[in-house]
Amino acid sequence: MKTRWHMTRRDALKTGASALAATGTVLHAPAVIGQAKPLDGVTLNVSCWSAPYPKWLADYIPEFEEQTGARVNYETPAFPVYNQRVDLELSTQGSAYDVLNVTFIYSGRWIGAGWFTPLDEFINDPNSTPPDWDVDDFLAGVRGPLTGKDGQLYGIPWIADVYMAGAARYDLIEQAGLAMPKTFDDVMAVMEAVHGQDGVAGFITENHYGWVWIPYLMGFGGKIFRDPPDDLTLMLAEPEAAEAAEYFARLLRDYSVDGVLSYGYDQALNACLQGQANYITFNQAWLVQLGDPAASKVAKTVNYSVMPAGPKGNFPGVATHGWGIPVGSQNKEAAWEFIKWAMSKEMTRRMLTEKGYGSITRRSVIDTPEFHNKMLINGVDVADIYLETIDFAASGYMKYRTVEVYPQVDRQIDKAIQLVVSGQMPAADALKQAQDNAIADLRRAGVKL
Amino acid sequence: MARAAANWQAERRRAFLIGLLPALVVLAAITVAPAIYLVVTSLTPLNLLYPATALDFSDPLLNYREALADERFVNSVWVQVKLSIATVVLQLLMGLGIALLLNIRSKVLEVARSAFLIPMVLPPIVVAIIWKVLYTPDVSPMHRFLAWIGLPISSLITNPDTALWAIAVAETWEWFPFTMLMVLATLQMIPDEPLEAARIDGASNRQLFWHVMLPYVRPTLVVCALFRLIDSIKAFPLIYVLTNGGPGSVTEVTNYYAFVQAFNFSYWGYASAIATMMVAGVFLLSWLISRLGGAGTGAYE
Repeated sequence: MKTRWHMTRRDALKTGASALAATGTVLHAPAVIGQAKPLDGVTLNVSCWSAPYPKWLADYIPEFEEQTGARVNYETPAFPVYNQRVDLELSTQGSAYDVLNVTFIYSGRWIGAGWFTPLDEFINDPNSTPPDWDVDDFLAGVRGPLTGKDGQLYGIPWIADVYMAGAARYDLIEQAGLAMPKTFDDVMAVMEAVHGQDGVAGFITENHYGWVWIPYLMGFGGKIFRDPPDDLTLMLAEPEAAEAAEYFARLLRDYSVDGVLSYGYDQALNACLQGQANYITFNQAWLVQLGDPAASKVAKTVNYSVMPAGPKGNFPGVATHGWGIPVGSQNKEAAWEFIKWAMSKEMTRRMLTEKGYGSITRRSVIDTPEFHNKMLINGVDVADIYLETIDFAASGYMKYRTVEVYPQVDRQIDKAIQLVVSGQMPAADALKQAQDNAIADLRRAGVKL
Repeated sequence: MARAAANWQAERRRAFLIGLLPALVVLAAITVAPAIYLVVTSLTPLNLLYPATALDFSDPLLNYREALADERFVNSVWVQVKLSIATVVLQLLMGLGIALLLNIRSKVLEVARSAFLIPMVLPPIVVAIIWKVLYTPDVSPMHRFLAWIGLPISSLITNPDTALWAIAVAETWEWFPFTMLMVLATLQMIPDEPLEAARIDGASNRQLFWHVMLPYVRPTLVVCALFRLIDSIKAFPLIYVLTNGGPGSVTEVTNYYAFVQAFNFSYWGYASAIATMMVAGVFLLSWLISRLGGAGTGAYE
């Protein structure tokens, strides 16, 4: 019997679909066959605020993409923009990001709320992380703020940022017969001698006073909270705080550049790089750039010291930030590969030797001669200042900063210092107002005071 | 016959309703639903750290009571009032003045008209950056020029006496072209007869403006004022980039304060209460101004 083949519409559709599938398979085949890279087809969204290290890391990311096959969307917005954006993203447990910076000031809040993935499961899995990657190589002091109450690590620290002092035009200080200040009184003496000399303002710092003012506050014997994290009674209305605010306001009002209240961190650093401002108390990761002849007009005249001591001692800030994986990420394994690569011993060493990055978190790299050589600027061993400052913080005075509700207090301090510097209020009144507002903010957050 | 007409009317109404339905659904989805959500959220202490607070209606007026007792909120309203009045008045005066100057038939002025529109079409963040440069003494051509002619001035955005005015000037620069454009269009629609009649009667240019042109332009100015007033309440990029609400709180408008509460502290319930009060305020203002506008038009007619 002769069968006559008759093609119905359904047959035609089936045939068409099969043909399409076959074509797809054939076209896709070379990619499958050639899939030697472990993260082919994976896209990682990575974000960190704009600091020297994340900006420099961008130069190496093509290497990671080449090695793994992953595609990395990388962004480094400004600090406040980053924190606002990420806070909202984390709170919705969204999947927009795979790797995020755990910001120091938000670490208590973000880790405490369960918005980041514990990294121990990756670190302790030999299939995922070789033993010589060595998590214990990271300084214990900077792992602490990134460790949750459950004892697990939620971020791999990429910075141990210490607060120190720099003099962009130390030659002017020397000409005045003075040296790098060791005390708050010395700072005032230097300001009186050098402000305005050669058209250079005496002092500058960034307008994030909830960070840069605190070493002055503590130097005068003040505190933010009575005994954080257990006793969050606010201490801003105490006389020591007013004394510190008056002192600090005098530096900004009488010895700084015009419009200093509007200077963010990049602008403050740039004023020093351009030789427009002289003495600065700020973070080491930025200040070492003053010694880079390629970027700095003051590379030959810059000098450094530890943060000067106040009447009650020396309390320079020590901050850390780390790479973490948000719980909403859909690519956690790949995200860990990125973090593991970015914070490997090799990458850390390359960041030091090729970029001059000085806020190293790995002890094995800190102990190398390269670290000390790179940190030797105009005869000053910045590495010693770095290690000395980390030792200061071992006493625990930085605990205030990882309190979950500190960001609210931080904003109130910003306002208070602005009020004092701009002459709108005496220091005692401005800080009393800041304390009252902060108490209202904290109560709104459910804190019992 | 009457029944057929009534049926036809009912059919017609139904057809209209069916036709309008998609638009109403879209409107409800993009405006009414978020507005309802805003009001509902304002009745909770929603804090994103504690998601359960989204459904806590145990004290629905708490946020409103707190806001009225919050000095920073009350201050922000006062700052907003000052900024809105300053910017709207300046924009109306500048827009009207330049429109009068450009209300001449000339090819050169046609080009000038287009040039004047540039600030309005720039992205707000670009405008903010332009003014950030102008207001930063060490890089500002304005500061350098003033110093060069012997009139040096200190930073305007960090001085509490001038910071709000600095914002108002930047806001005026950005938005006066809107008023200018509207007034210019109105001026060009004024018929020649009343102008010629007034001239024949010996009216001076000032009298022409006050008694002939201004009555024509007044309804347009009222509409511009309403639009600009509502928009001024949304002022954000300039404040965010130029002053961050400072120094202290002298440029912290209500909109910015709500932003801080929501995005810095995650107090979404409290921020929603502030936003709800702002929406209510805008509705009230719109109603008042539309009443004034109607009265103005009627007086002329």
